[in-house]
Amino acid sequence: MSDLYLVSKNIARNKLRLVLNTFAIIIAFLLFGVLGSINNAFNAGIELSADDRLVVVNKINFTQPLPLSYVEKIRAVEGVKQATHANWFGAYVEGSKIFFAGFAVDPATYLDVYADYLTVESTQRQNWQQNRQGVLIGEKLAQTFGWKMGDRIPISSNIFSNMDGSHVWDMVVEGIFTGAESQADTNYLLFHYKYFIETQTFGSDWVGWIVLNTTDPSLNDQVANAIDEQFANSFHETETSSEKQFNKSFLEQLGSIGLIITSVVAAAFFTLLLIVGNSMALAIRERTREIAVLKTLGFSAKHVFRLVLSESLLLAALGGILGLLLAQVLVQGISQAPQIKNMLPNLVLTSDIFIQAVVYIVVLGLITGIVPAYRAMQLNIVDALSRR
Amino acid sequence: MFAQITSIISMNIRSIPQRFWMSLATVVAVAVVVAVLLAFLAMANGFRTTLQGSGSDELAILLRTGSQAEINSVLMREQINVVSESPGIARDEQGPLISPELYLIVDGKKKDSQIKANLPFRGIDERGLELRPNMRIVQGRMFEPGKNEIVVGEAIQREFSGFEVGNTIQLGRAQWQVVGVFSAGGSIFDSELWADVRTVQNQFERGNTVQIVRAKLTTPGDVTAIEETIKSDQRLNLDVKTEKAFYQEQSQGVSDLIFYLGWPLAIAMALGALAGALNTMYNSVAQRSGEIATLRAIGFPGLPVFFGTLFESLVLALLGGLLGAVAAYLFFDGLTTSTLGSSFTQVVFRFDMNADVLLNGVILALVIGFIGGFFPALRAARLPVLLAFAAAA
Repeated sequence: MSDLYLVSKNIARNKLRLVLNTFAIIIAFLLFGVLGSINNAFNAGIELSADDRLVVVNKINFTQPLPLSYVEKIRAVEGVKQATHANWFGAYVEGSKIFFAGFAVDPATYLDVYADYLTVESTQRQNWQQNRQGVLIGEKLAQTFGWKMGDRIPISSNIFSNMDGSHVWDMVVEGIFTGAESQADTNYLLFHYKYFIETQTFGSDWVGWIVLNTTDPSLNDQVANAIDEQFANSFHETETSSEKQFNKSFLEQLGSIGLIITSVVAAAFFTLLLIVGNSMALAIRERTREIAVLKTLGFSAKHVFRLVLSESLLLAALGGILGLLLAQVLVQGISQAPQIKNMLPNLVLTSDIFIQAVVYIVVLGLITGIVPAYRAMQLNIVDALSRR
Repeated sequence: MFAQITSIISMNIRSIPQRFWMSLATVVAVAVVVAVLLAFLAMANGFRTTLQGSGSDELAILLRTGSQAEINSVLMREQINVVSESPGIARDEQGPLISPELYLIVDGKKKDSQIKANLPFRGIDERGLELRPNMRIVQGRMFEPGKNEIVVGEAIQREFSGFEVGNTIQLGRAQWQVVGVFSAGGSIFDSELWADVRTVQNQFERGNTVQIVRAKLTTPGDVTAIEETIKSDQRLNLDVKTEKAFYQEQSQGVSDLIFYLGWPLAIAMALGALAGALNTMYNSVAQRSGEIATLRAIGFPGLPVFFGTLFESLVLALLGGLLGAVAAYLFFDGLTTSTLGSSFTQVVFRFDMNADVLLNGVILALVIGFIGGFFPALRAARLPVLLAFAAAA
């Protein structure tokens, strides 16, 4: 009779209890999988940011403009490999309530600065660069609206007015870009800066922010200081930080998302420990006589310890894996909703979370099983058999 | 019958200490679930209270069409001149009661975490102050027109560093002196910096433009006359709504998000706690099967036995619910926090745990207790006497 057979018989002995415990564990790991993915999605901007990329914004605040002339000046700073610029557009499609990011960028240089992040097929890229009204659509955004190559699409802005009095810009889909990694955000569009700046009504020759690559990440601080010093005491002072810092400080403004998520997951696991731990203890207490019999039959104390511990581990694994599978299905489902795509474009259950969960499964199994297993190991045969 | 029910209920409850650890686990599990739910609901409620307390029915807010948030809007002087003559806007001897306001974002630092955060900086004139009767200076004095002076909201002074009265701070290229602190009754304006509109226009190169216009309505809540004016004039690409409606819309997104995040989480966790409660109660029935069989044998019907188990579960859950509610109240109520509002700026708000919120927590606990007790109670009531004796033996 193999140990596995014994363990599985034991675990399924009280079917109802098995179902209830498994269910409680499924819920906890489902929460862990979904909330962990959400937390990761919030942090993806930080994780995926390139080490050599710096962001230059107006020192007052990143919503304030910078002069276009700064781009050339920044290109001339020592240690700057290449630089480009972007303007926030506040895009939406008339009639839909779905807002998404749109950037008016310099078509000649923007894709080079983000070469590690975005991938565009080279003919599409050329076509886009040559068409003043051309737009590059992110893969996820294209899916949401069903846009295809060659489509003429009217894009509205909730910030800017077109010179023709409307808020609508007509664009032609010249290409669809994809992210280099699965978590990369592709829920936005890129169109020509010239087309934007020459048709909008709010001043001219200004940009939202400037992005650059340094020749070497070790030069980042030096380059950032050189840029900020150059524009110190000018009308538009700058603040240069690494892409990572920039994304992080933006995220922090939303509030302590990480803390909230960790607290909820911790609360869920805490209740789970109480429920399953107690239930395991009870199950072993109920089987006191059986364990005594096993020992009488010649099972060593260590063997009994192993059997009980395997039982709690098996239970944790059963619920944990089912919970993770459910989380995967759920995450995939909700990441398709347009609102979620817009807010959390990077929502996927990554392998990190899966690995973490496996660690928690083992920990859960050990914690809930260790006391009952120890008791079973220490059990005195005579006492146990005479107990009623 | 009633006497039978009460006596069995009291038997059940007095036997709880025999299952102390399992019962405690249920109580604590329910408490945790309730506390999590209440924290989310209090957060959603607090955010909503702050924003909705900001809007008045007597004021209208005019923004550029489609801009939705103050920061996205821009209005030219000419548009303001045209629209201010519109019927529906109240006037006094100095002319129409309107307040053109500039709105931009500056950086501040949070006191506790030193995190850089977006703060709203509002340029306003004397008329604008007249339109906000609930706003009062609590420390220092009001800014003087034409000077680089600012007054800051109470929440700003509490949460962000460097805004003590008398301090000089750099905003943009210029130095500004903090001359006063104002209170706007816990509304969103408490999270703002205010200065003279023309001074801000000059310092930030805004020419004659502003972001929005606030206007006093002749009839509170009625903006139709202004809508008519806007429709009839090509130059006016504006949206108009009452201030109340405006802030209601602004609060909807975030408080819905918190609300709709809180409930599913709490329900998922409640299902976990329910599994625990069922476990405990089935165990209670199993442990007392001898007792139950005896009762049935001496003529007790099934119903009192059913109620005995159901009540035991309800009592445990209620205990958990109260424990969770008290803990959440002590820990979260009044806690201040801030997040990004729809204008991309920080909104400071308090967790607000009112009676409605607490009631939700207790109801959730009772639902767990009811379902967690119902099925085990059914089993207890239907337990065949002979089998029960055999099981107990």
